[in-house]
Amino acid sequence: MKRFVAIALALVMVFAMAACSGGNTQQPASNTPANNTPATNDTPATNTPATNTPATNDQPATSALAGTYNIVVWTGEAAVELTKKQIADFNASNTDGITFNAEVNPVSEATAADQMLVDINAGADLYCFAQDQFARLVQGGALNKLGVKAAETVAAANDAGVVGAATVGEDLYAYPLTSDNGYFMYYDKSVIPDADVDSLEKLIADCEAAGKYFAFETNTSAWYLAGWFFGTGCVSEWTTDSDGEFVSVNDTFNSDKGLIAAKGIKKLVDSAMNLSSSSAAEFANGAAIVVTGTWAYNDIQAVLGDNMGVTDLPSFEVDGQSYHIGSFNGCKLMGVKPQGDDTTKQAALHKLAQYLTDEERQTERFNELAWGPANLNAQKSDAVQANPGLAALFAQNAYSVPQGQIHGAWWDIAKVIADDVKAATDEAGLKQALQNYSDKIAALFTMTAEEKQAWSAIGAIVGTSWDTDIPMNKVADGEFETAALELHAGEEFKVRQGASWDVNYGKDGVAGGDNCVVEADGTYKIHFVESTGMITLIAQ
Amino acid sequence: MNENKTPKRHLGLKASSAISNSIIHVLLVIISIIWLIPFVCIVLQSFRVESTYQVGYVIPKQWGLDNYIKLLDTNFPQWYFNTFICAVVVSVTQTIIVLCMSYTLSRFRFKLRKALMQFMLILGMFPGMLAMIILYRVLDDLHLTGQYGSSVPGLILVYVASSGMGYYVSKGFFDTIPKSLDEAARVDGATRAQVLTKIILPLSKPIVIYTILTAFMGPWGDFVFARYVSQMFPGAMNVAVGLQSWLATDTMTFNNYTLFCAGGVVVALPVAILFMCLQKYYVEGVTGGAVKG
Amino acid sequence: MKRLTDLEYLMLPKWNKFWYKFLMFFVDIPANLWNGIKGIGGSIASFFKAIGREFADIGKTFAEGDWKTKTSFLVMGFGNIARGQILRGVLFLIFEIVFVWYMITPFGGAYWVQMLGSLGLQGPEKGYDEILDQYISIPHDNSFRILLYGVLTIFFIVAFIYTWRVNVKQNKIAEEILKSGKKLKSGKDDLRSLVDDQFHKTLLALPLTGILVFTVMPIIFMILVAFTNYDGAHNGYTNALFTWVGLDNFKTMFSWDVGGVNYAATFGEVLTWTLIWAFFATFSNYFLGIFVAMMINKKGIRVKKLWRTILVLTIAIPQFISLLYVSKMFTLNGLINGALLNFGLIDKAIDFWGDPMLARIMVIVINIWIGIPYLMLIATGILMNIPADLYESAKIDGASGWKQFSKITLPYMLFITGPYLLTSFTSNMNNFNVIYLLTGGGPTNPAASGASGSVGFTDLLITWLFKITTGSDTKYYLASVVGILVFIVVAFISLVVYNLLPSVKNEEDFQ
Repeated sequence: MKRFVAIALALVMVFAMAACSGGNTQQPASNTPANNTPATNDTPATNTPATNTPATNDQPATSALAGTYNIVVWTGEAAVELTKKQIADFNASNTDGITFNAEVNPVSEATAADQMLVDINAGADLYCFAQDQFARLVQGGALNKLGVKAAETVAAANDAGVVGAATVGEDLYAYPLTSDNGYFMYYDKSVIPDADVDSLEKLIADCEAAGKYFAFETNTSAWYLAGWFFGTGCVSEWTTDSDGEFVSVNDTFNSDKGLIAAKGIKKLVDSAMNLSSSSAAEFANGAAIVVTGTWAYNDIQAVLGDNMGVTDLPSFEVDGQSYHIGSFNGCKLMGVKPQGDDTTKQAALHKLAQYLTDEERQTERFNELAWGPANLNAQKSDAVQANPGLAALFAQNAYSVPQGQIHGAWWDIAKVIADDVKAATDEAGLKQALQNYSDKIAALFTMTAEEKQAWSAIGAIVGTSWDTDIPMNKVADGEFETAALELHAGEEFKVRQGASWDVNYGKDGVAGGDNCVVEADGTYKIHFVESTGMITLIAQ
Repeated sequence: MNENKTPKRHLGLKASSAISNSIIHVLLVIISIIWLIPFVCIVLQSFRVESTYQVGYVIPKQWGLDNYIKLLDTNFPQWYFNTFICAVVVSVTQTIIVLCMSYTLSRFRFKLRKALMQFMLILGMFPGMLAMIILYRVLDDLHLTGQYGSSVPGLILVYVASSGMGYYVSKGFFDTIPKSLDEAARVDGATRAQVLTKIILPLSKPIVIYTILTAFMGPWGDFVFARYVSQMFPGAMNVAVGLQSWLATDTMTFNNYTLFCAGGVVVALPVAILFMCLQKYYVEGVTGGAVKG
Repeated sequence: MKRLTDLEYLMLPKWNKFWYKFLMFFVDIPANLWNGIKGIGGSIASFFKAIGREFADIGKTFAEGDWKTKTSFLVMGFGNIARGQILRGVLFLIFEIVFVWYMITPFGGAYWVQMLGSLGLQGPEKGYDEILDQYISIPHDNSFRILLYGVLTIFFIVAFIYTWRVNVKQNKIAEEILKSGKKLKSGKDDLRSLVDDQFHKTLLALPLTGILVFTVMPIIFMILVAFTNYDGAHNGYTNALFTWVGLDNFKTMFSWDVGGVNYAATFGEVLTWTLIWAFFATFSNYFLGIFVAMMINKKGIRVKKLWRTILVLTIAIPQFISLLYVSKMFTLNGLINGALLNFGLIDKAIDFWGDPMLARIMVIVINIWIGIPYLMLIATGILMNIPADLYESAKIDGASGWKQFSKITLPYMLFITGPYLLTSFTSNMNNFNVIYLLTGGGPTNPAASGASGSVGFTDLLITWLFKITTGSDTKYYLASVVGILVFIVVAFISLVVYNLLPSVKNEEDFQ
């Protein structure tokens, strides 16, 4: 009969938990402008001194933002000290009376998103990340987009490729930090004659003759693998809507050009001396060539010393024609975490982020760490132009593709191509590898039967440029119409089904025919008859 | 260990026995070498001074304690302290909980006892991996994660809270202690609590030490949940998470590989020595409890 | 399969007995299932009957009870206090006050429970703040918290109802005791009994609370997540809310074509490897462990303690150090390949982790390195307990060493360690460390590309589950489904094997 004591004991625990939940979650939807999280509602230990104390006497309150803020910053291990210094410089510059009390922790740019998305509220207030994680971070709600004015300033000052990489729809979500996330070739001059560096075949032969490894991370990283395809002129271009959702892709890896790339990859992966790695340490472990980026420059120099050679990627030969291996040309970005109801802190963080990514700071970063700047003025400086690593990167840039928004799943899907290619025994096998890839890509946008049947208009009309489907509604059996659109003379368009070009109609109801052309300005509905394929404009 | 009880082999000529014994000795030496190679390599690498990255040879060209000295300049002492505190507290509290649980289930016959044991058996079949995400959120709401200063109390709470599930081994041990001892004491007027503290515990030294030892070793190897809880605040990491963060990217591996080895040696040494010293009890625990439990 | 009589069964040779039992288990499945369903039906019926009885009893207590009892229906513990059992009464009362306060406090229990049905209504949205030139978030609900605290609150409510029922029952009993002229127990008696005849409750209170909150609650949460669309794009508080989706996720897992991914085949492949792995990992360790133990224990072997000490090093050193290091040793340009090349044993480096078959063999082999020492310790203990006279008589019969092993040692070991083998099989199925630290699940399985978590050839279900939760799309719902399936597989295997074990023992035998 004393079980109630046991129950009471047991409930103390449950109650403690439940009471706690009641304690710090009293602000759902209606009563506070909160993100409803401990990080913002209860001041965490690191933030205790006062999240927004009034300015002190000797520092007149010049702005609503004046105050001291405790923040956490994540950056790559190499940049920790420099970032601390730059934040101190910001405090000294006395911008709007803002002072930051920053804890700068080393979290690699490559894995910042993984850590951030585990629990955004526990993540850093300001963090640096590699571009390939951008889409995930936007989708995960871990980036607070830039204000309208800030976005204009930043976009004007930096490399258009980098700005594009940080943009979703019309909005800029992050600050450009570097523009050097590309890869090129380091080699050991004592093994590889300078004359051979332009030819993949010669390089492989040199490595095999010397019993040295050729490290190119084709099998474990889609980022490195994709360069082969870009080199033969393939593309993989993805489009998102304004929420960061991927809506379509133009991917030509599965084509004749892609087959050429696959043949090139096969040459490399079939070599016994191929090593799927991009680590600088491979030079200490019997590698003569490592394909990697600027970040490895100092490390490799430490191993090879004067024997270090740096150059753009080689060319490979298929059917008597030579193809230069391409690459991704990416960047690193800095993001501000949304701060919930603490709007002043959020605004102050944006000021800091803008400061840390301005011309002077980017130049400083280049001088200290050899990180290639994204800022246009900084890029033009002589010192930047003279750096051998960046010189190789710029040389490679002639064959590189700007790394735009890419679907998160692509990285996993594409990286298996190399394994498939390695396993293939003949050309049919190579084709199958590419077919598998393209099936998986196409399936990312699986549509319902209804969507597959739906008709839409597409073209260079109403401010779009062949990238947005304008939906058509059924008006009668087998007849479809768009909403009223403002069209201009000379604009071209077609009508297609299921947002794909498999079934499309053009002028005079010809399947796959020429584009329809608008003859005169005006407001029209585009009308389409399924049975005849006829497209007409109905003036409103 | 009582060697006399080892089963005697069938009668053979002395010579053949000597031959087979020497073959076995050779085998054992080979096995020992295989077992030791990785550890010897780690130790040797930790003394390498000429470079900091992974290399293709084992014996350092230049020997020195540089890596160990460098450890002191990193967050490593803090990680070590965190893990050590965690391990000590966990080993004490977890032992108490496990003993309570296993003693009760071994000695008391109450309603729902069987059901309770079956329920816990079923619970144990769920993979614990996913629970981590939820436990992490709970700890964060209780302000026991890295961003609130220290992750140690949170880790201790989680390690200890579910430890009651691991009662099998010590229950198996308690089952081997004759019940008549309890009954005799009860007849003499001892309460149940007195029976436990005065009679059973003194007889249970091996299993108590076994439980303390396994509980102590647990926190040193947690590199998944502790990573969540640390939230990447260097001050809140344990050794496993901290050392792994040194190998996070290629550049970091390049600069920290020998440091990782040195850290590994410093972590492994005390745990291994403690284990060696208490090996006898571990064996008794494993053989006495694990099999019968 | 013909069902045998007991006599026929007993006359079967040993292995046939085993197969008979094994096959009969499957033959019996339909009947057992039917019995199980009947049993469940029966228990549900008796459950409702019991509830009915409880209600009847509550009603009767209220009707027949005095005013103290009646007041206790509303104010818990009142009867206890009025009758002098202050300690009990105060605890009841405190509990009631806390419960009521928690439920009615704004955004307390009532809020969480009421939101459970929808998991949140208002998702996050952004507004533009022109003065500070920034985008700010508008207040919103949080699906994760609603689910978490909703579940906790339900726990709490159940506990409250139960306590209330105990409170009512106690009043009734107290009345009866007083009526019969006996004395009620005082608070002091209660406390004393907690270290004596009710000692087990004291001992179990803390461990069970821990298990309830830190094991049961997360498992319930996990099961519930499998019925939602909780993933990276619907994390419930920064981008979009998640909500209930019914059985969709299970359909996905058993579909041939979801977005071009054959989840059913992927799951089948991973499960098959998981079982193969568990089989080899368990039995290779088992037999080699016994073998090593017998070698060390053999008469005439010197420095036994040294051999044991060297072997148990792999237990003593944390796996994240040893396994991570071993994994690096076997890379294409690692120490092992370097040594083999130097000695001229191979002329081309072996890609240990790149070739699917080789990688699978390697993880099993390296697992031996980790696993043998445990078995060696266990086997040492058991070998010493085998009655020596068994061997003596065998020797007299002229049995060879191998015969002794196969007729005496092995059966004895198998008999004693049967349950251990089962648990070690299931724990090998969930052996995260070895696979994750050695291969990370790789090499990647091209056939499964596109499936959440980028499945590799050495991935076990448990590492796949982990990779789903940390992969690019963090599909927690899919991970939950995998988790539930792991449970079902493990439970099924345990049931089958437990049924076959020769040593399903009576636990009282040991006391």
